[in-house]
Amino acid sequence: MSLYHLGEFEEIVLLTVAILNGKAYGVSIIEEIETRIERNVSLGALQTVLKRLEDKELLKSEFGEATKVRGGKRKRFYEITTTGRQILRDTKEQRVSLWNAIPKTALKYS
Amino acid sequence: METSENNPPRFFLKLFRWFCHPDFREEIEGDLYECYQNYAEQYGKEKAKWFFIKEVFLLFRPTLIGNIHKLTNLNSTVMITKNRRLIGIMGAITVLLFIPLIAMQFSKEVNWNFLDFVVMGALLLATGLLCELVLRKVKTTKNRMLLCGAALFIFLLIWVELAVGIFGTPFAGH
Repeated sequence: MSLYHLGEFEEIVLLTVAILNGKAYGVSIIEEIETRIERNVSLGALQTVLKRLEDKELLKSEFGEATKVRGGKRKRFYEITTTGRQILRDTKEQRVSLWNAIPKTALKYS
Repeated sequence: METSENNPPRFFLKLFRWFCHPDFREEIEGDLYECYQNYAEQYGKEKAKWFFIKEVFLLFRPTLIGNIHKLTNLNSTVMITKNRRLIGIMGAITVLLFIPLIAMQFSKEVNWNFLDFVVMGALLLATGLLCELVLRKVKTTKNRMLLCGAALFIFLLIWVELAVGIFGTPFAGH
């Protein structure tokens, strides 16, 4: 995916990070995606996309607290950057404009 | 595959720690741990163990791996030196195989057939790669010389046995 275009999974992850609003870390993002869109996500697939989005500067992250349930390891919390917000808005506008361009008869139930 | 009371399989945890990039290790290990605990609570320890193993394998991706990234990092000076040496070994093998080939054109005393070239090529390649492995893994000069010397000695023994048969083995030459 290019810098200015989001892949389908990238978009889902970015939206989920926005939904979680400051509480987004690996496990919480997976749970949110599984609950909302019933899609199984592996930790490997998620972490790869999170790192890519961070490289594109659409996400930023910082370490949080360590808990016993995590074997004493800290969480990395993700947040959307200003560029990330802009790209999400642009993507939404593109989608809406595409939906609006569909002729009414094209998606009519037969 | 050891598992202590409420911990994920230790071997696969170590495997993950080995291949994961150090910059990402802490957060991903924490996520793995938390996922394992959640899964164990929901589905039991046995299922959680298999889930953990699957997740560790699915984490083996170019973006996340550390050790292998270093091995394939061609910008590293060490890697360039190692690759140059390997190319040198391959080049030397080719040159050595050309010697009998050229000699055959001028003298009837050198008479190698295709199989001779294949066997000699395989022998030289095995010896060269063994020496390369020794040079990559062994750090002290003394041990390097000993092991490379042993590899060359074994090569010479096999060569002599194939050529004139000094030990009388089934593949001895005459």
